[in-house]
Amino acid sequence: MANKSRRNPRMDYSSVSKKEPKLKPGAKLWIRFSVAILIVTFFIVMILTGAPGLGVSKVSEIKTGIDIRGGVSATLYPDVENIAEVTDDQLRTIRTILEQRIEAKGTFDYNMSPDYENKRLLLEIPYSSGDNTNPQKVIDDLGTMALLTFREVDETEDGYVINEVTGRFEYLPTDRIVIEGSDIETAQAVLVENKPTISLKFTDVGTEKFSEATRRLVNHPIAIYLDEQFISGPNVSTWIKTGEAVITGSFTTDEAIDIANKLQYGALPFAMIAKEINSITPTLGESALSVTLDAAMLAMILVVAFMLLRYRLPGAVASVGLIGLVASIIFWISAFNASITLPGIAGIILTIGMGVDANVIIYERIKEELRRGIELQEAIDIGFKRAFSTILDANVTTLITGGALYIVGSGPIKGFALTLIIGIIMSFFTAIVIVKWLLRALASTKGLSNRWLYGVKKEVLK
Amino acid sequence: MIDVIGKRKYMFIVSAVLILIGVMFLLINGGFNWDIQFEGGTIIKIEMANDSYDAAAAEADIEELLGKTVTVQKEKTFNPDAQVKSIALLSIKVTKENTLNSSEINAVVDFLTDEYNIKAGTIPQIKSVEPFIGIELRNKALMAAGWAMLLIVIYVGIRFRVMSGISAALFGIVALVHDALIMLSVYAVFNIPINEVFVAAILTIIGYSMNDTIVIYDRIRENTALMHKADIETMVNTSIVQSLPRTINTLVTTLLTITTLFVFAAIFNVESIRQFAFPLIIGLTSGSYSSIFIATPIWMIWKKYRIKKKILDAKS
Repeated sequence: MANKSRRNPRMDYSSVSKKEPKLKPGAKLWIRFSVAILIVTFFIVMILTGAPGLGVSKVSEIKTGIDIRGGVSATLYPDVENIAEVTDDQLRTIRTILEQRIEAKGTFDYNMSPDYENKRLLLEIPYSSGDNTNPQKVIDDLGTMALLTFREVDETEDGYVINEVTGRFEYLPTDRIVIEGSDIETAQAVLVENKPTISLKFTDVGTEKFSEATRRLVNHPIAIYLDEQFISGPNVSTWIKTGEAVITGSFTTDEAIDIANKLQYGALPFAMIAKEINSITPTLGESALSVTLDAAMLAMILVVAFMLLRYRLPGAVASVGLIGLVASIIFWISAFNASITLPGIAGIILTIGMGVDANVIIYERIKEELRRGIELQEAIDIGFKRAFSTILDANVTTLITGGALYIVGSGPIKGFALTLIIGIIMSFFTAIVIVKWLLRALASTKGLSNRWLYGVKKEVLK
Repeated sequence: MIDVIGKRKYMFIVSAVLILIGVMFLLINGGFNWDIQFEGGTIIKIEMANDSYDAAAAEADIEELLGKTVTVQKEKTFNPDAQVKSIALLSIKVTKENTLNSSEINAVVDFLTDEYNIKAGTIPQIKSVEPFIGIELRNKALMAAGWAMLLIVIYVGIRFRVMSGISAALFGIVALVHDALIMLSVYAVFNIPINEVFVAAILTIIGYSMNDTIVIYDRIRENTALMHKADIETMVNTSIVQSLPRTINTLVTTLLTITTLFVFAAIFNVESIRQFAFPLIIGLTSGSYSSIFIATPIWMIWKKYRIKKKILDAKS
């Protein structure tokens, strides 16, 4: 601007008429310089300290994807003969119940998305420390129907078996159901005589059903099943009218709590089974993270060194821009509440390399103009102007690929696509605004306008 | 000045040979090696207390347990931050025909926990995909790649209509196809499993390669006005040589970062990152190469043919 106004008095006049403060030539350059420095500082300070008000966390506390912190992702399908008969409502019910089951275990940062078209649920549960259960079992257990039934049984010899593993006497399930999961109002795990026990309270309808059955079946057994699995088969000793019952079985305290929770939230219309599962062990994810971060650090140092050697002063400015670029990518990931994934970090590393491309295009152009004998300030202006459309086109193509990846990719790849998209937008901004403002102010300084600093030999052959 | 354009024939031959080698390996290997993500199958990895276990015995035991064919391998990965740097893994692989269901996976994990010296408190790493899901994911990914390419063609086409005509866009696409073929060849030669990571890499390269081509075409457009007296071969060659510093410097900075990542991933055996970085290195190199030696020369050949035709038409 300052350059143009010197050449064009009419522009000078119009800017005065807009009542802009009259600035010394070059003052505007330094204001912009300061703004650019402030923007870079802002991003760096933000990721170092975090800003809870803006929903931005410190770099060390940013959410990481399950490929780093460990966890399991799975695709759950209804376990039914004809999957086409599953309704959207059923899927919604299942989703709600599964969410309650996961949250009952103290996990809240999971992801669950229903796919109504294909009748399935996509699930991602991060690892919680101290939980060393086989992830396949976690998923299997989550998808059980958890349908509790109290049933009348046959007391004849055909009515029971001896369990081969436990040696226990078990009644076979019949279809004479007395009470169902939906008749339960509350379920709670309690210790009775130091034995884990589930205490049930029935709804009004359930109370009536239970009262009728216990009156009829005094001195006969009522067997309790969870899905088709036998839990216990106590004898009815008296007519129970209160609508309360307890289940004792061979389960641990944790199992009792888990069963009670499932009963509390209700049964699924059918079991959900995982047909695709991917689990990552936290130790492996962590070691991959530390390796990737070390690589990122070294990559950054190498690129900065290269830019300094190749482009000298503008190279140093580009390096400042690069640091701001990386900080801003981390800032936006945090602000969008996205997770950092391994491919995401790879994306940042790639951006470090590709992000300086815009600078390279501009700087090469500036060098060329300088060699042709153009004055420094003008060469810089031409460099930025000429390179603009090239940089824009190049960035749009990468944005298209990033968008496509974001739409189809799974969690970690989405992370890559997101860093790529943010990286491109921010590197464009860095090259065209930040670096330009910094460089133009510096080039206007006497001590810093030496041609050698811009990578061109002192004597110009014209 | 370096004569880039004059050496075009050799460069076409180099590319053709590389792609042919890829096709050869593809025929030998009987097609691409699809990752279980895109095909179906099961992989289970369990951290062991140490690496003094018998993989062959484990394989026989598990096959007896399941009645299915499995492959068991010893694997190692490293954690530079931990006190015990090396992590010994037992890896079980099952092909798509034998994809394990949940109870089979549980049976394997329980069996190993009981019978083998696995690390206390460890969690197995399980990856299992039923074939129908694998094929669905593969189609989805290929579709995305297709759409991305189409959108780029449309965008570049629109932009280049004004700049150097739709023909330039078409030859830019030829370079993209070239890069994709080179990457596929490398995957075929090294028999690397093709998965989502590969699709991400190939799309990244497509963006990068187009970017490279645009920079050179832009220069040609500029020089067309400046050097209207020179013949087309000199003009194109000048444009390439003028953009060479930029092409090389950007390639250097990008390769610096990705190669660093690859070397770290290779040393510490971080498979997912290694699988991502390797095709990127190949693709970046191919992308810069194709912009200079493929996209620009063939555009020039076409342009020369058009000029000749015009002259002939004018004479007749």
